[in-house]
Parts: sequence; C-alpha cells; structure tokens
Amino acid sequence: MQANEFDGNAAFSGGGFMPSQATQTALERPSSSSKNSDVRCLLPLTVKQLRDLSRGGESDISIEGSDVNNIVLVGMVSKIDNADSEYTYRVDDGTGWVECTKWVTKHTDSVEVDAILVGMYVRVYGQLKSIQSRWTVHTFSIRPISDFNEITNHFIECIYVHLYYTKLKGCMNTQPQMTNSIGGMTAQPQVANSNFGVPGKGYGDQANLTNQYKTDEEQIHAISSMVLQYLRRPACL
Amino acid sequence: MDISSPAAFVNGGLLRMHVGRKVRTVLQVIRSDIASVMGKSTDGFQVVAKGSPPVPLTSYVEVIGVAENENTIRAELWTNFGDTFDGSNYDQLCRLANGEFKHLFL
Repeated sequence: MQANEFDGNAAFSGGGFMPSQATQTALERPSSSSKNSDVRCLLPLTVKQLRDLSRGGESDISIEGSDVNNIVLVGMVSKIDNADSEYTYRVDDGTGWVECTKWVTKHTDSVEVDAILVGMYVRVYGQLKSIQSRWTVHTFSIRPISDFNEITNHFIECIYVHLYYTKLKGCMNTQPQMTNSIGGMTAQPQVANSNFGVPGKGYGDQANLTNQYKTDEEQIHAISSMVLQYLRRPACL
Repeated sequence: MDISSPAAFVNGGLLRMHVGRKVRTVLQVIRSDIASVMGKSTDGFQVVAKGSPPVPLTSYVEVIGVAENENTIRAELWTNFGDTFDGSNYDQLCRLANGEFKHLFL
C-alpha cells in the first residue's frame, strides 16, 4: 500500500537534494500530485543546466528525469533593478546568467536586499518560474558569500547531484527483477542517460521492488543485494 | 560580471585549451604591480594576469578574462578570494568542469 502520511524522516533523509526511497514510491502517483509538498527537492544547479531544462508536463519542469522546483544558484550579481518592493538581480555564475526576483515585504527582507551590491558573489535560493518563455527565479533568499570555498563547493555539488540522477538512478532502474541471489547478474547494459526524461518508469520499478518483499528481513536483504551489485559495476561512477 | 560568453573554469594546464576565449581561474599571488599580477595556478603553473588588480590584494584572487596564451590572461574582472581558499578543491573542479562534466558548464 502506498504511504499517504508525510514521513518527515524519509522526506529529508536525502539531505534535501535527492528524494529518498519513501518519497520515490510516492512519485508513482499521477503527475497532478507531483506538486505534493513531500516530494520537493532543493537542487543546486548551474545556469547552463537551467537553460537546458526540459518540460515534463503542463507546468512540470524536469531535469534528468526529476521534477525541479526549488533551486540553489551561486554567482555574481551583475545588475540590480528595483521597482517599489520588487528587486531583480541578474546573477551570473560563469555558465550564463538568470534574473532572480525578490519581493520585499518585511523589514528582514529589506535588510537582506540592502546588503547585496553589484559585483558581489551571492547564493540564491528560489523557485523556477517561466515568464514569457524565459526562466526566472522567484527568490526566497539571496545572501552574500563570504567564504569563497562555497563557490567551489556549489559547483561540485551540481556535479554530484547530476551524477546521482543520471548514473545512480540509471543503474537502479536497469536492474532486472530482484531475486534473492547476490551477484547473479553479470552483463549489464549501459546506464548513462538510460532514463532521461522518463521518471515514471523508474519510480514504478522502485515500487515493484519493495512490494515484492513481505518481511523486513527480506527487504533488508534485497536492499543489501542491490547495493552490492551496484558497487560491483565498473560502469557506474 | 559583464560576460557575453560563458567563462570556462581553468587551471594553469587547461589555459592552453581556451586561448582566445573567456576563462576564469584562481591564482595564488606571488608578485603584483600596477599593471599585472604574477600568480601560481592551483596546479602549480605560473600565470600572469594583466590588468588593474584590486588594492589591497589578498593571497588568492579570482581572475576572469580572456586567455591570451597558455600562461597569460587579459583580466577584466578581479575578485579577492581571501587567504584561506582551498586550491586543491578548485583544481579538481577545473578538471571535472573541462572533462566529463563539461556539458554542465559550457
């Protein structure tokens, strides 16, 4: 049976970047429920990745097969426009630029925006929006960067999350039906981009795997087998 | 940042691959004068950045500009990166960003 309650531990166990096992099973529901709050992730992205985004459904935005909603960007502010309580920052991270709009409604917001100057490196948390076929970021938070190791860290995180979605999920989704034997599979198909833009298939497979096993012990054994098989594959990572 | 084209992450060894194009790198400052900075790249090469560096200059500085040749950058933008920047991490990022994950950056 599908879990209908919000499982806080499961939702946040992926560190915020990736949906955990429990939230992945929830994703096999129809796409109208993909806006369910318990499956949203915060993705670190480069502007180049933003520009390469594809649209999955009516208002669904997907990248590497997963819905994109909230994102993190790190870049330099190259332009600031402000009109009344709307501040628009052009943030350039070296791979491209995107406009980030912050609405100032409280005193804390105005303190935040007053600290941002042109030429500063900033970290932006926001939600992707498409306005007149152009991507913009509806900004929740924009903060100056003081430790520049954050810049290196952000881009490495972008690479890691990209790798997670393309290779790790690809490995798991190309597994044949699980059996109780370990190391039973040898020849494996290429996994790169195997599930690009087809999230439903992957999540469906995940649900089948977990539904097969009745007892906790069998489930743990199955998961251990999956991990072992994944680690034995030289093609992965 | 007035970038009309993306700037590639480079270290000293990768600079030669982007001659004539916009690049960005972090240098450890060895010597500076009014018109240039002589620095060590994150992979140990000596690189010269021509332009007007900020005053004062911290130990590490990010330079964004056009690569003139394999060890010179005509700098357009300078950013002080402080004294505690991790050059080895940045070096690894440059290798990844020019290698397997180039499509995420350029």
